Amino acid sequence: MRALKQGRVALAFVCIVLGIMLAVQFRTTQDIRSTIPFQRAEDLSQRLKLAEKERDSALRQLQEFENSTRAESVVREVDMFRMAAGYVAVEGPGLVVTIDDSKRAMKPGENPNLYLIHDDDMLKVINELWAAGAEALSINEQRLVVGSEIRCVGPTIMVNDTRYSPPYEIRAIGDPKTLEASLKMRGGVIETLQFWGIQATVKTQQNVKVAAYKGTHKFQFAKPLQEDTPK
Amino acid sequence: MMLPVLAVLVGILIGLFFPVSMPVEYGKFLAVALLASLDSVFGGLRAALEEKFDNPIFISGFFVNALLAVLLVFIGERLGIDLYYVASLAFGLRIFQNLAIIRRYFLKK
Repeated sequence: MRALKQGRVALAFVCIVLGIMLAVQFRTTQDIRSTIPFQRAEDLSQRLKLAEKERDSALRQLQEFENSTRAESVVREVDMFRMAAGYVAVEGPGLVVTIDDSKRAMKPGENPNLYLIHDDDMLKVINELWAAGAEALSINEQRLVVGSEIRCVGPTIMVNDTRYSPPYEIRAIGDPKTLEASLKMRGGVIETLQFWGIQATVKTQQNVKVAAYKGTHKFQFAKPLQEDTPK
Repeated sequence: MMLPVLAVLVGILIGLFFPVSMPVEYGKFLAVALLASLDSVFGGLRAALEEKFDNPIFISGFFVNALLAVLLVFIGERLGIDLYYVASLAFGLRIFQNLAIIRRYFLKK
């Protein structure tokens, strides 16, 4: 033990150096953990876990579907197609657009047509709403389905073989914010209509009811193509 | 016996307060150097307990061992041989041996 006492200063110095090295090594390890490749690896492994979880739940769902009886799935499918065809009245968040003819006094010599609502105005609005992800649309209680027409008949508009005069009420179900934004964007449909004094009001509602389609779908000429059908 | 422990603590504090950080690529070298130093310290402790402690041998061993270890790993890196693991293994084994001898000494006492 005598020799140890002799070299005390040296030993202390060595130990201080050792401590510094320990601290620096600790910090370096900490740095490595925060570098991009390391983080990326961690990120990827996290994503892998997430994907695996998703796959497992999807597999479970698939099994459930396979286990549920065939009749059940057919009923579910029929319900879906009925909804898609417009045979079922639906409700949900969306907006109600009311469009009325211009009340502005016409200047002499001007074309009165500019101040009336036309079928193409309605079509533009409807088109914009479909594009914004509307799931169900109706004009004055007439559900718009695949074969629905919108055309001018004199001063009125014909929808689903039924005539309507202004004001027109368009009901749309979909994300209210997206639908509203699609109509009200700068240079959009509403702005163009308002230029001519046509009154258009857009109201978002949490619960919009859209009526069912009252007609029938007929296929007189069209037949399903056999080779294109799956299975 | 308290002095070395105290010195290590002081060193750690110095290292933490002076933000000297190694580039990540050199982390390996520092790790090997650290292992070599630890080995030297434990070897020194063992020598002291065996009454064979020699100051110059201890000090020179501490630095030369660390530097040589770093040099070896560096050369290994250049040649594509992972001497890092070899060095870690060798030093680790020696540290454990020294620790075992130190433990035995304390138990006998």
